[in-house]
Amino acid sequence: MPGNIRSVSFAWMVLVYLLFCSRRASVGAAPICANAQAGCHVLSLANLFDRVIQHSARTHSISNDLHSEFEQYFLPSKNHIGRVSRNCHTSSILTPNGKDNAQRMAREELTEVILKLLVAWRDPLWHFHQNMAHHHDFNNFSSNKALEMSDMVHELRKGVEKVAEKMQVLGIISNTVSSLASPEASLPSDSAEWRLMKDYNLLSCFRRDSNKVQNYLKILKCRIVPEHGC
Amino acid sequence: RMRRDLGLALLLLLSAAVESNSMSPPGKPVLLGCRSPEKETFTCWWEPGSDGGLPTAHRLYYERERLEGTYECPDYQSAGRNSCFFDKEHTSIWVDYYLTVMASNALGNATSEPFKMDVMEIVKPDALGNVTLLVEEREGSPHLHVRWEPPSNTDTKSGWVTVKYELRVRQDGGNKWTEYTSGTQTHFSLYSISPGVVYTVQVRCRLDHGSWSEWSNSTCVKIPHYNQNERPFWLMVSILSAIPLITAACILVTKRKFVKQYVLPPVPGPKIRDVDAQLLKSGGSEDVDNALMINQSFPPIVAWKDQMEEYLIVTENDDGLPSNSQKRQKSFIIPVGFNLDLENIYCEETTTCQNAWEKKCNEMDRFEVDDTIKPFTSGGYVDIQRRVDNMQGADVKPVDYSRVKEVNGDNILIYEKENVPLESCGYIDVQIRGNIPEDYSRVKKVDSDNVVTLQSRHASVDTSSREKGNHYTGRALQKTRKTNMCTELIESGYVDAIHPSSNTG
Repeated sequence: MPGNIRSVSFAWMVLVYLLFCSRRASVGAAPICANAQAGCHVLSLANLFDRVIQHSARTHSISNDLHSEFEQYFLPSKNHIGRVSRNCHTSSILTPNGKDNAQRMAREELTEVILKLLVAWRDPLWHFHQNMAHHHDFNNFSSNKALEMSDMVHELRKGVEKVAEKMQVLGIISNTVSSLASPEASLPSDSAEWRLMKDYNLLSCFRRDSNKVQNYLKILKCRIVPEHGC
Repeated sequence: RMRRDLGLALLLLLSAAVESNSMSPPGKPVLLGCRSPEKETFTCWWEPGSDGGLPTAHRLYYERERLEGTYECPDYQSAGRNSCFFDKEHTSIWVDYYLTVMASNALGNATSEPFKMDVMEIVKPDALGNVTLLVEEREGSPHLHVRWEPPSNTDTKSGWVTVKYELRVRQDGGNKWTEYTSGTQTHFSLYSISPGVVYTVQVRCRLDHGSWSEWSNSTCVKIPHYNQNERPFWLMVSILSAIPLITAACILVTKRKFVKQYVLPPVPGPKIRDVDAQLLKSGGSEDVDNALMINQSFPPIVAWKDQMEEYLIVTENDDGLPSNSQKRQKSFIIPVGFNLDLENIYCEETTTCQNAWEKKCNEMDRFEVDDTIKPFTSGGYVDIQRRVDNMQGADVKPVDYSRVKEVNGDNILIYEKENVPLESCGYIDVQIRGNIPEDYSRVKKVDSDNVVTLQSRHASVDTSSREKGNHYTGRALQKTRKTNMCTELIESGYVDAIHPSSNTG
């Protein structure tokens, strides 16, 4: 009997060990392999592009929804907006404003623009989500969307960095792309109305910028790997 | 004169008033909206106000984010009246435009409210034009294939916009549309359509997250019936194949007796003459006893010549029956609806019989009335007397009963029930109610659980020769569990047949 127990416990421990090993292996799976080492799960560039494009589409969709929801709570009067140009903190980033401009831009530049935009939005979206969580005007649904939006931008940035890395590896672009310092978002002020307007403004700006990111990514993809869906 | 002057003055005033009403500065125009069909150009429309009776000109001015100054509309013509078309050079996406329309005539101006827009928000493609329907028939059922062209002015090759499609289908007469999403494909197939129905299809599209276009013009198609050509053919085939089947059925019905004879040969069953089956069915055991005891005269047994049926005959012989302490009422065979025909007894010689068997058989020529013969009928009971070898004394003789399940030819099938516990191995005695000496039935076959097939014992009917079992060598039977027959109760083993009169065992 003791022999049995020992063998059973030994088998059990082996099983548990195998389980943990496999779990660890799967968690760290699919790194982008620079040199295509054995055992690496290599994703094609087209595949990577599709993923980030899907991601960006979803991000823009969420920002669209949030923006419409906000309009219910805060409909800006004509006087308020008027002729004042939109106060987006990413206005300093030079972005192509049309199809031709975007197509004429170099790949590295375009990739850099995308990355700059994504980096610039990380903190403001986080603060925005924090604000939403404290407001009782908005329901949980909106708050969750804000959090999702913030997370997605984070993921999107990592994804685009991977794409850039892969492109550099493949020699498609030169190694000049780097995550440069992004312009800081202006700090929120104390007044509630100002904060509300700031939020609405922030959402409008982000809606626009997410659309830009989506479009730029698609142009980049169809320029570099035009096989599928172009 | 005063009145005339007054009237003239009034008239002058009136005419002046009339004249001044028809001439006035223009009314305020209203900007209706803007639209970009492909996210590269856009057009804006306005609604002019009253023109004040004078020729009024409308001008559109715009300011743009990140662009200093006010500019005028570059193209008033291309998009029709009261519109302004912005071509590619003048269109910037993701920037705000502030538009105003100014109406001016000789008397004054009027400016509309400013209209703020971003090209990103006003994307709405043109309605699709060329929608084609194709009905295809496959495997007997029709399918509808819808095909269309993407909007001509959109640029999907460079990935600038992604077009998504939607279509809706309606059956003729109905007013309910069924909508389907086609994704980015420019074709769609409908599979669940009914022949003979007219379907109306419309398609629309949108770019990225923009607005949906207007529905395309309706395209209709009527689904034809497809199986017309094939149906008569299959009808003929089915009729032709049905005819021989029907004739075969008729033949079978008319000649059913013959068929029945051929397929299901008659099963012999025992018959007891002069016994009323109904009485047996309805009456109590006493009545049954009386019924069977009444008939004392049995005709002599003749050697069997006719091979029609086989019988085992059993009867109770009252004369020589000692007062049986073991009154075996229970062992009385109570078959249901049996009929004994004593004239058709035969003795069959089997090649596997031993000499004793044959001897008995020959002795049957002189069959005596007193002989007890036992019919084995389906539903009859046979005593199964268990002979215990070692465990208990010889005088202990628990008697159990097993029911004869079926008499089939020269075999007797005994289904053993639970009430025959076989604790130890020994001999299985098959006790036949009757007055014949102990006999052994040869076990012909042992089935899985409960079936012991015994060879018939016609030949063993003989009161004169009370031969014991020393002629018969039985094998020691291994009995396993009480619900199972002994595994070694196999062919060529023997089982005792014990009669109630001879209480041996």
